[in-house]
Amino acid sequence: MTYKVTEEGNVSTVFLNGEIDMDVTEKAKEVILPLVESGKEVHLNLKDVSYMDSSGISVLIESHQKALENNTKVIVKEVSKSVLKVIMMAKLEQILNLE
Amino acid sequence: MNIEESKDFLVSTASLKDVRTFSREVFEKINLPQDQKDELVLAIAEAAQNIVKHAYKDVTETSDRMEIKISLKDNDLEIGFFDKGKAVIPENIQHRKLDDIKPGGLGTFFIKQIMDAAVFKKDQKEWVNHLVLTKKI
Repeated sequence: MTYKVTEEGNVSTVFLNGEIDMDVTEKAKEVILPLVESGKEVHLNLKDVSYMDSSGISVLIESHQKALENNTKVIVKEVSKSVLKVIMMAKLEQILNLE
Repeated sequence: MNIEESKDFLVSTASLKDVRTFSREVFEKINLPQDQKDELVLAIAEAAQNIVKHAYKDVTETSDRMEIKISLKDNDLEIGFFDKGKAVIPENIQHRKLDDIKPGGLGTFFIKQIMDAAVFKKDQKEWVNHLVLTKKI
């Protein structure tokens, strides 16, 4: 997994790339959670994420919950078809902010 | 078409990518819709992850290996997982309730969604755990 972060005003966008499994979830959390904890609105762009397993889904849930605690929000954007299928299998499409 | 292929992997999160690559290579030889192949790869990866996460819980580094065997006979797909970690107590395995939104506990749920059955067998003396996933395809 690789990533890129861009900042615009109070919005940080994290572009994730590659496959997100248990081996890289700590790295993903290290990138995403401090941004959320700083109170910024965080956009997670998943258009280049080709695979995500339950560990990756856990990162999305944790980010979402951390955002609620910090009175901000995480928006999951441009979800690839394969990742959307896993999100829907977990029945999270109504819970996460998907755009 | 009948297939039987197996491969062993170091018990480590770093092996999960290799597990997926092996699974994809096997399923390339089977005529199935890509969506179904992707689901099967996810189920296999989740089961392998469970070995690392649960059978080897609190083990930071090991030289142990786990084996995965994919067999297709007629339309019966069987995927075996063999490991030498802590013995799994099948009755203790449960996925979290889906309406209890929290990180974790989804891997087993995905496996159950994708496969027809997941059974732990006690038929292998040289291994501690032998999980068998089956699906009619």
